[in-house]
Amino acid sequence: MVDQEQGPWSPSVFLKAWDDYVAASQEIYKRLNDRGSGASGSIPLPFFGAWQEFAKSLGMPSGLNPATDFQLDSVISNLAPALGWSRDYQSIVQRMLEIGGQFQQRYAEFLKQSADVSAQALHATRLRTAADPRLASSPAAAYEAWIDGAEAAYSQAAHGEAFAQSLGELCNLLSAFKVERGKLLDALARHLDLPSRAEVDTLHRQVRELNAAVRAAASRPSPAKPTPAKPASARPTALKPKPRKSRKPAGQ
Amino acid sequence: MIEDPAAFDRLLSDAMALYEQGRAALRALREIGDVEVGQSERELIYTEGKIKLYRYAPLARSRGLPPLLICYAMVNRPYMLDLQPDRSLIRELLFLGVDIYLVDWGYPDGADRFTPLHEYICGSLGRCVNAVLNKNSIDALNLLGVCQGGTFSLCYAALEPRRVANLITMVAPVDFKTPENLLSKWVQHIDVDLLTQSGNVPGELLNLLFLALMPFKLTQQKYVNLLQAQADRAQLENFMRMEKWIFDSPDQPATAFREFIQWFFKENRLLRGELMVGDRAVLLKNVTCPVFNIFAKNDHLVPPSASVPLGAHVGSAVYDSLAVDVGHIGMYVSGKARSTVPPAIANWLLAHQ
Repeated sequence: MVDQEQGPWSPSVFLKAWDDYVAASQEIYKRLNDRGSGASGSIPLPFFGAWQEFAKSLGMPSGLNPATDFQLDSVISNLAPALGWSRDYQSIVQRMLEIGGQFQQRYAEFLKQSADVSAQALHATRLRTAADPRLASSPAAAYEAWIDGAEAAYSQAAHGEAFAQSLGELCNLLSAFKVERGKLLDALARHLDLPSRAEVDTLHRQVRELNAAVRAAASRPSPAKPTPAKPASARPTALKPKPRKSRKPAGQ
Repeated sequence: MIEDPAAFDRLLSDAMALYEQGRAALRALREIGDVEVGQSERELIYTEGKIKLYRYAPLARSRGLPPLLICYAMVNRPYMLDLQPDRSLIRELLFLGVDIYLVDWGYPDGADRFTPLHEYICGSLGRCVNAVLNKNSIDALNLLGVCQGGTFSLCYAALEPRRVANLITMVAPVDFKTPENLLSKWVQHIDVDLLTQSGNVPGELLNLLFLALMPFKLTQQKYVNLLQAQADRAQLENFMRMEKWIFDSPDQPATAFREFIQWFFKENRLLRGELMVGDRAVLLKNVTCPVFNIFAKNDHLVPPSASVPLGAHVGSAVYDSLAVDVGHIGMYVSGKARSTVPPAIANWLLAHQ
């Protein structure tokens, strides 16, 4: 990429950067080899400025602050499509990044709502303290007033549709992230020849089905066994009812 | 602004005193270590997997009532009903001559991920009921369902009305979509299929949700109050027992949890008469035994509006209710509930035996 203001990059800028880098490396090795020169001291980085110039000549912006200028959205939108032998894994990671970006956005909205609750709680506490000066002279009473105000403000917000929706979206994004993470862990388990979640689930299903079958079999009346033919004289005694066992426990 | 220097001095000394009290309370808490819960003597009667059925040892002469089977929620551990000897609904009932059995759902794990709700209600609960009936050679028992266990008990009583002589529901939701029900409002936006797609729902997640109902009181105030209360050892132990119970939340089996949230919270099927458990319709009008509905007036988890509608939907000729001026947890352990609820249960059962 070429910065239109800077013009096309010049080989001399790159050569200067490279030259500085080599010089810095030589300096480092020299110090490491020379025990008397205090190698453990700080090592200057004279080459860094030249590389910055080189990057600038390529049109890269300078002076970025990673804490404020890093945009996950732009990283995600610039990702190459999942291609090649690892495309399945790439697409899982990309999906996780997308979910992460959405979560950041929703969480910021949620924090905004929480900040509003805190502001309202503070306002309510100030009103109460102004109405009752005794609250200001007792930390315990002031704290109680703060809790009451905070809880009331929170309750009002929490019952609102916007809060419930925010909370739901955060929960759903975390669930979606967990599903994608599970896919990666399952793949890892397969590569390590460990039982994957999917395999364990299959086993659990089979055990459940077996348990149900055993219960069903146990609850069915057992089919009448074919009885061997007996002499006619023996039949009447076989029909006699057995005496019932007493339910009374022993010793009573 | 405090303009009076003397007032500022007072404020400073108050703050220092609170700080010292807090330090002393933390020292005392460290010395307590682990606390014991659920100490009443009991016997294991029946077990299947992680689910256990216990019978509590009698503490008084029997009143001749059918045994009372307690079905607690799956989202918390049932030892809340027997937290400590002087804060135990179970002990109070035992002292009143009631024969007590308890279903303990245990800690579900990955093996329970695909267990559907009907297997808990018709299967496991049904087999626990059978075990009690067989042990006592009777046809019907008294059933006490607590919180989510109350909802399960209602379903069971509607499906198997001949096995339930009397039904007591305690802080049990029936109408899951009332304006006061904050949990229900939140749940409407949660994709429960997605939530359970990667397995059981962690107990920690539920805890977080419960804490979020009243975050300032539940994550700050109660600890600050403890630090400044100058509590003695017994009070600190009580606090730690409660703390242990609150955060002792089992993971929820994915399939059963998904069905419970979808059918009850999102679609309110129980109240609408559209609930199918397994292949059987659950109709509240089929609950024909006497019903005693106990609810907490200040319940932030199951608001009274979620419990009260029960009376209008059951088919029972006898329906009584009791509103106790406590919160959800206060129903199990508060002094007010202890003096009110166990005698009310025992007397009601005696009146309807």
